[in-house]
Amino acid sequence: MIKKQGLRTAIMALAVAGGAFMASPAWAAGTMTISSPQDPGSWDPVDTFLVNWASVATNIYDGLTYRGPDTKLVPGLATSWETLDDGKRIRFKLREGVKFHDGEPFNAEAVKFTFDRLMGPEGSKGPQKSNYASIDHVEVIDDNTVDFHLKQPDPVLLTKLAGYGAMIVPPKYIAEHGEDYFNTHPVGTGPFKFVSYEPKVGIKLEKFDGFWGDKAKLDHLNYRFISEPSTAVAELQAGRVDLVIPPTIPIGMIPTIKGDPNLDVVTSPSPTVYALRFNTKNGITKDVKVRKALIYGVDRQAIIDSILGGEASPIASFQGKLSFGYDPSMKPLPYDPAKAKELLKEAGVQPGAPVQIDIRGNDATFNEVVQAVASYLQIVGINATIKPYETNVLLNDIIPKGKTGAMFQQSWGGWTLDFDNTAYFMYHTGEKWNPYDSDPKMDEMLESQRAITDRAKREEILRNIANYAADRALEMPLYNLNAIFGISKRVKNFTPAPDSRLRLNEVSVD
Amino acid sequence: MAGFLIKRFLQAVFVVFVVTITVSFAIRLTGDPALMLTQGAGSVTEADLERIREALGLNQPFLVQYFQFIKGMFTLDFGRSFLGGTPVSGLLAQALPATLSLAFASMIVSIILSIPLGIKAAVAKGKWADQIIRILSLVGLSFPNFWLATMLVLLLSITFRLLPPSGMDNFASFIMPAATMGIILTATNVRLVRTAMLETLQSQYIMVARAKGLSENVVLYKHALRNCAIPLITYFGLQFGALLGGIVVIERVFNWPGLGTLAFDAVGGRDYPVLQAVITVLSLLIVGINLLVDIAYGLIDPRIRTE
Repeated sequence: MIKKQGLRTAIMALAVAGGAFMASPAWAAGTMTISSPQDPGSWDPVDTFLVNWASVATNIYDGLTYRGPDTKLVPGLATSWETLDDGKRIRFKLREGVKFHDGEPFNAEAVKFTFDRLMGPEGSKGPQKSNYASIDHVEVIDDNTVDFHLKQPDPVLLTKLAGYGAMIVPPKYIAEHGEDYFNTHPVGTGPFKFVSYEPKVGIKLEKFDGFWGDKAKLDHLNYRFISEPSTAVAELQAGRVDLVIPPTIPIGMIPTIKGDPNLDVVTSPSPTVYALRFNTKNGITKDVKVRKALIYGVDRQAIIDSILGGEASPIASFQGKLSFGYDPSMKPLPYDPAKAKELLKEAGVQPGAPVQIDIRGNDATFNEVVQAVASYLQIVGINATIKPYETNVLLNDIIPKGKTGAMFQQSWGGWTLDFDNTAYFMYHTGEKWNPYDSDPKMDEMLESQRAITDRAKREEILRNIANYAADRALEMPLYNLNAIFGISKRVKNFTPAPDSRLRLNEVSVD
Repeated sequence: MAGFLIKRFLQAVFVVFVVTITVSFAIRLTGDPALMLTQGAGSVTEADLERIREALGLNQPFLVQYFQFIKGMFTLDFGRSFLGGTPVSGLLAQALPATLSLAFASMIVSIILSIPLGIKAAVAKGKWADQIIRILSLVGLSFPNFWLATMLVLLLSITFRLLPPSGMDNFASFIMPAATMGIILTATNVRLVRTAMLETLQSQYIMVARAKGLSENVVLYKHALRNCAIPLITYFGLQFGALLGGIVVIERVFNWPGLGTLAFDAVGGRDYPVLQAVITVLSLLIVGINLLVDIAYGLIDPRIRTE
């Protein structure tokens, strides 16, 4: 009897619950739901470096400059700027009539407050300050003009002002409500304003009618934090999520999404490039001939086509084609196992010589890639072993302290898409990501471009750096991975942002 | 009796102390949170890192950090998350009820399923029904729970669109995670109910009840079940602790905003305060339940008290 009752109750419960679920419309008009893999914990611009902070906060805040998916730098809250005093002072004219979401006006004081805060005690607690170290102070000239006084010229500063720590925050609001409140109740000048935030669950935004630019077409923008890729894709398939943003969807799940008539996959080149860097100090990879031989020996295009499903582009230096400093005339070394064997012979490397490749253990796709690399090396007579590490151990101990094998994984890219952002720290003597190499010529080139604000001249030097690094074969360049977005077909006018800094005022839903 | 209670209580305190100090110490060996926070930043100097460590309180010796954590615990102040500075007590206040309610729901599913099935198997001992139930329970034991969860999502959320695939929004959200955990638990519980029932059914009072002409259901559910309830309740209580451990995987699959998700993210982000707090709460729960069971045993059975 009880058994029957239990069963009946269970069925009824399921029916009621199912009914409740179906009754609430899965798709509400004017509302878009996004799955993001991580909750940054705070929405304060000075607190975090996480890409998934920016994929939400780019809708809430504005910077003085703006850089959209086309990676062109355009006016944001500043309408124009001029560089003075040999690049040591930048004068910004500010947009007039702009209001924060709480109604307080945006003006020169707000800009000064933002950067005083970033460079002061509040900013010191977080990771963003170091990125803006070239700023000495901000001076208010009049209500709509500010001067940035720099310690030394910073050619990347204008780009950096378009994101992260440089987002303009409201002085009065923060003074009234305090820092803690601001962390969880952000206010900016962007196209969407904050509604509610539940840690580890999601954040909700709505259209800001007083936005100074193109007003949002969506009424509501909801983000849910879902870290497990299969769960995010299930939500997408069930129609409860409209967009799954990177880094979530692994290559292997692309066919599942493409196979669903309501869904699509859109991609864009990301800033992240993958390479296996060499120990240039010890072992057989000390010899540039050996390093080149290993590059010739691996068919990188085949890896991209098979393992990565074509969602990557081959590279010749440690940057993708969106990067400032990318040289289109540089071509990756071809796959040529015969030449590889010849070079190894010339270098006196015995067949069967061992090489250890250190990688991050948590990256399943890259694990497959490296297995393919190891097999290719086997063909040219190199005995490669793969050593996976826990990511933090590899990044914070093994690489900086020079404890790697002959090759190690480097997968990196900065949102500024400026080659200096990675090259300096990988090639300059004594930097964290350069445990082995020391080359005065390289150091000199890297230092020289940092003092120049002339874009053309700087680009030339950055290209020379890329070419020089390739001549010396400091790494085996593998590929530039695409940023993969899973999207419902009811979303219109969505442009994937290469750096995941999404601003969705032009997006609408059916 | 007082001596027994004090002894058991001190043991429990000792266990919690060992667990928290081990976890706090071990996670500090695995990497520097300041480096984690600045990952992706280009120009990070040692001075920048030092500043961040100071802000996070990591420049102090380990024991000082640990005792501050313990001290804070007594005022329910678990410090702040390294990620964004959210107060940990707030995160716990949200995650603990989520995990407990899911654990309770799973227990209820399991009890609803395992008692009738176990009784049926005991009554039909050696017959077809018994064999089938025992084979099914063996199959259930061998399922990895994440596989079952994924299959349920595929069927009920994607194919039939009956239930939400993840999240904790309403009653419907509970069905799949609770069913997954419940089915796995049922596999062991059925065997337990069956064994306990078999023993009870051989008692003379069952024979008497049958001789009185009571219906079979009354005999089974009123007389027999009541008498084998004591060992079952004890066992279910202890199982609750183990359940909290197993729920971590299920929380991840169903994106459940509970302690498991919190711990998982904290390990990845080297968020010491959050991880310490979650482990402490979990160990307090498990130790607390064990303590209650110990005390209950002591009350019932004088031999345990004097041991």
